Amino acid sequence: MNDSQHLSSQFDEDLSRLRSSVLQMGGLVETQISAAIDAYSRGEVASVKHIVETDRNVNDLEIAIDDDCAHLIAKRQPAASDLRLVFGISKIVTDLERAGDEAKKIAKGVRRIYEAGQMPSQYGIGVRHIAEAALGMLRQALDAFARLDTELAVKVIQADVDVDTEFKSIMRQLITHMMEDPRTITTSIDIIWIARAVERIGDHAKNVAEHVVFIVEGRDIRHPPKEAKA
Amino acid sequence: MSAPLIRALLLALLTAFVAWPVGHFVAPWAGWTLFSVGLGLQMVFHFRNFARLERWSRAPVVDSSLEGEGAWDGVFGRLYRHEKDLRAQIARRDEEIAMLIAAGQALTDGVVLLDQQNQIVYCNTTAEMQLGLVIGTDRGQPIVNLVRQPEFVAYLQGGDFARPLTLRSERNEERVLSIHVVPYAGNRRLMQIKDVTQSDRLDRTRRDFVANVSHELRTPLTVLAGFLETLQEIEVDHDEQARYLALMSEQSQRMESIVQDLLTLSSIESAPPPANDTVDMASLIDKLRRDAEALSGGRHNIVVETDGQGDLRGAEPELVSAFGNLISNAVRYTPAGGTIRISWHASAQGAEFAVQDTGIGIDPKHLPRLTERFYRIDRGRSRDAGGTGLGLAIVKHSLNRHQAQLEIRSVLGQGSRFAARFPASRVVGF
Repeated sequence: MNDSQHLSSQFDEDLSRLRSSVLQMGGLVETQISAAIDAYSRGEVASVKHIVETDRNVNDLEIAIDDDCAHLIAKRQPAASDLRLVFGISKIVTDLERAGDEAKKIAKGVRRIYEAGQMPSQYGIGVRHIAEAALGMLRQALDAFARLDTELAVKVIQADVDVDTEFKSIMRQLITHMMEDPRTITTSIDIIWIARAVERIGDHAKNVAEHVVFIVEGRDIRHPPKEAKA
Repeated sequence: MSAPLIRALLLALLTAFVAWPVGHFVAPWAGWTLFSVGLGLQMVFHFRNFARLERWSRAPVVDSSLEGEGAWDGVFGRLYRHEKDLRAQIARRDEEIAMLIAAGQALTDGVVLLDQQNQIVYCNTTAEMQLGLVIGTDRGQPIVNLVRQPEFVAYLQGGDFARPLTLRSERNEERVLSIHVVPYAGNRRLMQIKDVTQSDRLDRTRRDFVANVSHELRTPLTVLAGFLETLQEIEVDHDEQARYLALMSEQSQRMESIVQDLLTLSSIESAPPPANDTVDMASLIDKLRRDAEALSGGRHNIVVETDGQGDLRGAEPELVSAFGNLISNAVRYTPAGGTIRISWHASAQGAEFAVQDTGIGIDPKHLPRLTERFYRIDRGRSRDAGGTGLGLAIVKHSLNRHQAQLEIRSVLGQGSRFAARFPASRVVGF
């Protein structure tokens, strides 16, 4: 897992525990998002409350892990790849927490729609589709982190473009729909919020993948130069 | 001391014995020279063998044999054999391990072995697919890093493995997994993963069935209770009372027939394979025709088409009830004046019993689910016609027990044809 040999295995254990707790937090966010998608496509308003409550656990975990990172740096003064790992973890945790927030937003949007007696089904398929793609991205990003697999991480980064494209096409459809029938504006705006949150989840997954590349290779690929982007 | 060693020592002594008299009687320098030359020759011999051993030990291959000379031969031989035995043993062990791994791979359940820290030691291909693991890279990885679902983590860390954990697969939403952890060899753990998608679905069907039964029984019960209450609380005249009682007895009849059909169904399900009596089809069809005419009360034209050949092997009561059900359905769903055609044709290849009517017909979209318990196309109509919703389920079960297929063809508004096809093994008389 770690190339460098450590004299103290206690340190190794601390690092490995830190990694595991990040992934546990990731698991929590994954379930949260998956539950939000279910709530959206099946109209399970009952699960919204649970999703919102889980978000509190996610927040607590973020604070606890960040704290652990600070402690680890202070106590062990890690260097090189270990320091990168601790830094990377601290960033990943922030992105995970935000992805959790987006799941909460989706859940609340679902509640608004269904409580108004509306159904998101007309555009449900599109939004559901990108939601599943974004969740898949997050899952792969976390897998890449667990395995320190940069190849998979790069794949996740590339997949973000598809989610963005699909998000834009959903927006266009909804705008057309709102112009045709102004009565659907309230619901359509809620759907836009949800789609926006989904798109953000994709972005956070991409960020996590970028942090994985940083941890493994030590290079920052967050803002590539223009020609590399094309 | 072993013989080769003694021989080598004797040779050295012999040199001394030969050199000593020469040194004594000829000249001391001649004796010493002879002694040195003798010992030198022996050393060259030993050195050559040593070099050979040294060369071989760098890459101890067993196909080029290790051969020594003189005293070294025995030593080399034993060393060589020892090496060869070891290799054979390792090869056998390897084979055994490969067999065990192959056995693990052959399991249809997923298997994951975990060490004390819940790190993955081994998993088979099924488990790889079920949990999205890749054993090549994931060995030594804590399993909770990859299977991150909170329920699973809580289960594994909770340490209470009395009951398996049912988990919806994360990687494939449609699958339901049942995970059972068995501790072994101290603190190690074996995870057994079953795909229970099928039985999970069955469970749901069973729950639906119970809900349906309750609903079907409650409907007539509500009517009964309503009338009873009315009779208790309000004075009604004689005619009214008689009407109520008639309706009540009708409803209790309904409940009776539902319970009767449920009992029939459960007895068919749990019964041993049907008897192999020969059923006389000619008389059975005659009986069925008379029943049909009685049920129809002359409102339908009932036609029997048969060449009178061939009989069936099976349990007569079950066949009578299955065929009777098909005929009573035809009578019930065919308006007055329609035709009901009962046919029986048998050959050495098999036989077919069919009931064709000119009734209301069935929309094709209902056909696949028609034999499900309590499946109704039109709840009100079927109940008015006196159905329990279980008739075709019973027919299908009875026919299945006779290896027969129920084939339904129907055109809305033109009529339906229900055919029971029996395999050759069930037909006698050819």
